[in-house]
Amino acid sequence: MDAAALAGMGGRASQAYGLWCVDVPAASWKFSVEDARDSYGLSYLDWLCGVDEEAGGFSILAHVLNPDTMAHLLLRTRVTREDPRLTSIAAVHHGAAWHERETAEMYGVTFDGHPSPGPLLLPDCFEGHPLRKDFVLVSRVVKAWPGAKGPGENDATVVPRRRTLRPAGVPQPGEWGPEDGGG
Amino acid sequence: MAESSQRRHGADLARGLAVALGALAARIDPSRYPNTLPALPPRSRGVIALFEENCTVCMECARECPDWCIYIDSHRETVPATVAGGRQRHRNVLDRFAIDFSLCMYCGICIEVCPFDALFWSPEFEYGEYDVADLTHEKDRLRAWMWTVPAPAAHEPLV
Amino acid sequence: MTRAHGSVLPDPVKFVLTWGRRYSLWVFNLGLACCAVEFVAASMSQPRFGRLGAIPLADGPQHADLMVVSGTVTDKMAPAVQRLYDQLPEPRYVISFGACSNSGGPYWDSYSVTKGVDQLIPVDVYVPGCPPRPEALLQGILRLQDTIAGEADALTRRVTGRRLTAPLVRPHLAGP
Repeated sequence: MDAAALAGMGGRASQAYGLWCVDVPAASWKFSVEDARDSYGLSYLDWLCGVDEEAGGFSILAHVLNPDTMAHLLLRTRVTREDPRLTSIAAVHHGAAWHERETAEMYGVTFDGHPSPGPLLLPDCFEGHPLRKDFVLVSRVVKAWPGAKGPGENDATVVPRRRTLRPAGVPQPGEWGPEDGGG
Repeated sequence: MAESSQRRHGADLARGLAVALGALAARIDPSRYPNTLPALPPRSRGVIALFEENCTVCMECARECPDWCIYIDSHRETVPATVAGGRQRHRNVLDRFAIDFSLCMYCGICIEVCPFDALFWSPEFEYGEYDVADLTHEKDRLRAWMWTVPAPAAHEPLV
Repeated sequence: MTRAHGSVLPDPVKFVLTWGRRYSLWVFNLGLACCAVEFVAASMSQPRFGRLGAIPLADGPQHADLMVVSGTVTDKMAPAVQRLYDQLPEPRYVISFGACSNSGGPYWDSYSVTKGVDQLIPVDVYVPGCPPRPEALLQGILRLQDTIAGEADALTRRVTGRRLTAPLVRPHLAGP
């Protein structure tokens, strides 16, 4: 896999940790995966997943391999947050069907042409898309962080401290939940 | 189909009864649990013990615990100046130190991060309870575990 | 109907019933995650809790007395756990084995985990650990046997709340 061949796939190629990654536009996602399989022998789909890029939308990644030479490649595309739609590649790699179902329920991305859409891992009545970065873990909001108290502090007294630490993933009070001001 | 499953169930019953009757007839083996503790390797992680005298209520363990299972309450006391015209000191007094072992995942982060060596590993593992609330061990019970903390393991010899 | 009868059973009969019940527990392992491997180690390997009268060869929940929930209970698995418990015939006992089934354990903040199997079914003994030692399961079974011995109503299993207060035999720990 050399850079020239990768650039010929119609995208931008980059390398990280010994793995080549090709960024393609969303409109040519299915074509790129098909081309990788037909022209370069990357006929084994290892996995497909999403990444929440926050303001930049969602990245969808597919890791494909050539089972004979063990050459491997990461294909990446980007969809917007406002309209997260992408063509399904289940027709190209049958194994992508389950990966796309999981990505759909975890990020809220819609895969057009998916043979059997629907939740895969989450229970039926689940609300929200858990792997989005703005998904709040309720347990961390409901349970008081034991480390929030400072030395010399208990439920009755509050000792003024120079810095207030906050554990990861816990929003500021008033930012989320019934008291978020309707935002 | 029903006959074969009946026969299978009868065979299972016979097998189970054979195990039970065999155990009834066998002599008690004094070298196996519960008659003897298993051979526990050094640095076995069974339960966490607290040495209260070393604790300065810095709250590092409560902050770093990934399960949020260490609950600490304290208050500040003022110690008057010992010398005439001297400054009065403040001291933090530990009121409550509890570890919820129903949540604890025995990662050891609290013991590693404690700057004052107030927390120790103990290999004790026999503290199953009938009520999940009893799995929250308070200060006095955590101190009782201190009597079971072994001496530190010798360093392995340099090869 | 039988509750009234149970309290007037003579002590020898009650003793025999509770003795038989606690030393012939058929165990069904609801193995959901890593703790299931420790259960297998406790039942098949050196500790082998068959010596205590607990038989790990139950054909399924319908042939078991004791269900050991070992592993993380996810929200998607919760209805199945409930169904399996419903299939256990009375008298039935549940041991919660490991931190995940006690209270959610290390996944206490997850979006998909039930925070403890006691949110779904009643639990008799909680064995702490992540994962607990196989010998800790034996201790949990011994505690359960003490509970069964203390049952006042031997016919319908009304528990008096008798607790094990004396520590188990703990000889000198041979170590470095």
